[in-house]
Formats: sequence, C-alpha cells, structure tokens
Amino acid sequence: MMYLMENIIQLQDISFSYGRGKALDNITLGIANGVVGLMGPNGAGKTTLLKILMGFLNPSVGTGRVLGFDITRERKALRARIGYMPESDCLIPGLDAVSLTAYLGELSGMPRQEAIKRAHEVLYYVGLEEARYRMADTYSTGMKQRLKLAQALVHDPQLLLLDEPTSGMDPKGRKEMLELIKDIAQKESMNIIISSHLLPDVEYTCRQVVILNQGSLVAIHNVDGLSVERFHLYNLKLKGEITPFLDGLKALECAVEVNDRGMYRISIPAAESPRRIFELALKTRVQIRHFEPCRTTLEDTFVTAIGADNGH
Amino acid sequence: MGIREQGYHKWDGQLRAPRFAWLPIFWVGIKMAFRKKYSKALFMATNAPFLAFLGGVYVSTRPELKMFPRIVELLKIDARFFSVFYTNGFLIFMLMMLCLVLFVDLICGDLKSNSFPLYFSRPLDRMDYILGKFSIILFYLLLFTLVPGLLLMIFKFIFTGAISLDPRLLLGILVVPILVSIFFASMTLMVSSLTSNGRYVRIIILLVFIFSNSIAQILKSIFRSPYCELFSVARNIEQMGAYVFNTQPVFSAPKFLSLAIILGLSVLSIFILYKKIGKSEAQIEIGS
Repeated sequence: MMYLMENIIQLQDISFSYGRGKALDNITLGIANGVVGLMGPNGAGKTTLLKILMGFLNPSVGTGRVLGFDITRERKALRARIGYMPESDCLIPGLDAVSLTAYLGELSGMPRQEAIKRAHEVLYYVGLEEARYRMADTYSTGMKQRLKLAQALVHDPQLLLLDEPTSGMDPKGRKEMLELIKDIAQKESMNIIISSHLLPDVEYTCRQVVILNQGSLVAIHNVDGLSVERFHLYNLKLKGEITPFLDGLKALECAVEVNDRGMYRISIPAAESPRRIFELALKTRVQIRHFEPCRTTLEDTFVTAIGADNGH
Repeated sequence: MGIREQGYHKWDGQLRAPRFAWLPIFWVGIKMAFRKKYSKALFMATNAPFLAFLGGVYVSTRPELKMFPRIVELLKIDARFFSVFYTNGFLIFMLMMLCLVLFVDLICGDLKSNSFPLYFSRPLDRMDYILGKFSIILFYLLLFTLVPGLLLMIFKFIFTGAISLDPRLLLGILVVPILVSIFFASMTLMVSSLTSNGRYVRIIILLVFIFSNSIAQILKSIFRSPYCELFSVARNIEQMGAYVFNTQPVFSAPKFLSLAIILGLSVLSIFILYKKIGKSEAQIEIGS
C-alpha cells in the first residue's frame, strides 16, 4: 500500500509478538482522515494495534507514524494529540467529573484555568451538565461512558481512539453516544478510530472499516461503497419449474441460495443487469412472485472477509 | 440555547509540553490528602512533638526561670536535641500513621479504579507518574519534619537573641528529615503498587514498621547481640540520626550500617516501584 501524505496513520510492515505467539503480522496500512472502524474477532490483533498506535508497545519489526509522529520515538508528543476512550471501566478515585476532566486536561498540557473551563464545556456537550459535580465513582455505566468520552475530548485531540464506545449503554444512551460521535466527526472534522464489536455502530458512524483477523490485515472497505454495491443481491420467490431457471442463472455465473422458507437469494455479477433475471424467467416460464433487492450488510462483508481469510 | 445544542467546539489554545509533567499529579494529590477524613486530626497530632520541643527550646534558653533545671540541662539545643526530635518514637509513629491513612491509596487506588489507561494515554511516562505520587508524600512528611526542625532553629535564635550556626548541625537538620521522608515515601508507594487492596497495603506497612521492632527485640533476647537491632526500622532511623548528627550511637553497632540499611531499603523500594509501574504501563488493556 502506498504511503499518502494526508494519511493520519501510516504503518509499514508492522509485526509484534507476545513471546512465541504472533499478535500482528506484517501490517501495512494507511488510514486517511475521517472516521474509521477497526473490526475483527477476539484475538485478531485490534488491541495490539491500538497499543502500538498509542506508543505503549514497540513493534518488533516495522515502522509507523501517527499524525506525523514516529510511534516509537515521539510518544509524548503523539499522546498529547490523541484522545483515548478506554473500553474498561476506569476513573481516578476521589474526584468529581469536572475535577477529573480538568485534571486529565492539565496532564495533556493544558493550562489549569483553560482545562477547568474546557472541562465544563465538554461535560455539557456529552450531556453530563447536571451531574458534573458528582463523584465519578457514583455514576451509572452510561454516565461513565460519557465521562470517558469527555476526558478524551478535553484537550481537543486531533485523533480520537474510541474503544467500544457504546459498551454497556441502554438503547437511548447508545443512540445519543453515536450521535455525539457523528457530530464530532462531521462538524469538526476530527479523526476517529472506533474499535467495536457492534457492527451497526461501525456502519452508522464510520466512513471506512479495517478488518483484522489472526494478526493480519484482511480487508479495508469503504462503508459508503458497501451500500452502493448492495444491489448485487436479490431475494426472489419463484413458482413453476425452476430447474431450467436455476441452470440458466448458473450459466450467468450467479450464486443461488435457498432458505428454509423457500426464498431464493441470488447474487449476480456486478457487470450483469437484474433485467437478465426477468428475461431468463420469461424464457424458462417461471413466475417471479417476489423480487427484492437485498442489502449486503457490513456483517456479510465482515463474515466473508474473515471466512475467506480462514479458508472457508 | 444550551451549550450542547451548539455542538462541539474546538479549543483554540495551545498545548504546552510541560517541563514538570508530574506537577498536576502533585497539586491534585495535595488537595485530596488534605480533604481526607481524619487528615486534620492527624496533622495536629503529628505537630505535637514540635510543640513539646518548642516549649523545650523556650525553657532551655531561659535559665533565669530556674524551672526544671535538670530538664533545661537535658534540653541543650545541640545536635542531640535535633537528632532526638527527628527520630523520636512518637514522630516516627505519626509519620507511619500519615502514610497508613492518607497515602496508601495513592497507587493501589489507581490500580483498583483502573486509572492507568487514563494517565498513560497522556504525555506522561512512568517516571512522571512516580515523581508526582512521590512528591505528594514528601511534601507532607517534610511539612512535619523539616519545617518544624527549621522553625525550632529559628525560634532558638529568637529566644537567645543570637545567631550561631554550626554547619554540621545545619546539614543534619536538612538531611535527616529528607532521608526519613524518602524512606517512608518509597516504602509506602512500593507496597501500594503491589496490590489493589488498600487493606493489605496497610497490613504490610504495619508489619514492616511495628513487627520489625518486635522481631529485633526477640532476636536480641535470643542472640544477645546489638546487631539484632538492625532488624528494627525504628531503631535504624534513630541510629541513622545519630550518625548524621554525629552523636552517641543508639545501640552498639556501627552507625553507618543503619544509614546503609535505610538508603538500601529506599533504593530497593524505588526499584521495585519503577518495575511495577512499568509493567502496569505496558499491560494497559485497550480493547478486547
């Protein structure tokens, strides 16, 4: 993959091992501005990749730059420009939300008065305005998630790393959190990387998805592209003698699946028009009782990419 | 219109690379320790030796009072006076109590609340973190050792109306409280970094400071050797004071040995602490 000047993350041949087990294997990756989802099954290497991006781990092989800073040599400068929202429950004991957020802003290099002012602003923004003087350890799970987002935003980072940002939130809270993320990305052009198991979250917020499996980079997909390509798949209900029709589809290199309700799922090559299905039905005297373009979900893409990588 | 409806706003300030990245940890720690339950009562109790010794300074500089002439003789303001002030059993006990009540949670609280991802995702390294935590304990311990020591000296000048300074005595007044504070701070932080359970930390510190004394006494009664006193933390601190102030030894063993033990334990504690924090920094859990 070519290095592009506008890439905020540029990794070249990154490998990392925990003892004998290889956690990342020869990852070369360029991520441009915007919101990017990081996906993969457990043990795929997402954790290790994030650790390397934050400068917590030194890759055993390879080089990388994040926001133009070398990930091994310029860690402090890099961390000052990154906002990180951890997945796990974490807070600083004995502090209320304002003090905690301001304290972490100060640790990022903000002047004290500015950090306090900004802490109030970001707590308002994430919807904790009423509870900002409450001790953080008395917060509910959803409120803690918001607080973690606030502390990640306090120093106005150039890159936001969100680890399972909606974890443990109720549907309303989850929706609000996703709206916040989308708002930050759209209005302020902040670069965001979301590591999530929740594919709808990634689909809703991200422009691009990076799929990892067994320490290797499996696929990079454009989420908008996925929705454009989704009309390759069709759900059909058929009546009549369908064998010649199915043979005809196979001749057109279409894949056919039938589900237990008798619905046929047909995928046709991108070059072919769906009109060909109707022409074939007319020719083989098959009635099409139901015809529905089927969306290829991100989940399909994810499963296909992981399945192909595993050789299934 | 609420701020939230206005959306996210960029911060137009400039981040600065602080020369002392640990300073925010220090300031917040100072405030939090002061706000803790029982902190004020402990501070007052820790000041008791200072008030007693201040009375002693006044009485010893007023022979015309002819009160307690024997006490006046004992309270001669010299190296022994300051050595006893810095290493007296009550002050050492109160310093330990300060560590037990106010400072045990400094690291184990962070471990329990999983604070490390928040700290180390900032431009901080483990040395900044340790310095920040260390400075909190040093501040309070020096406040109750070095500051009263200097005040006693100043009051002596005021009461006698003459300024006479022995460089060796001044060195002792400055060095002994610093050594004692570094020892307590490093030991407390090291033990605090071992577990996320504050109760265990308190028990370990108690074992170190109180039971080391008992063990030393038991060993002494068995082997009848003064060297057995080297097992006692409190006795080593007293002997170290005697070494720095060049006064009579507290027990019959070379005085430098106690200084070496206190310094050695401090260095060992800092080494273990540094390794433990480094391990935690590398093992921060990011994601699944």
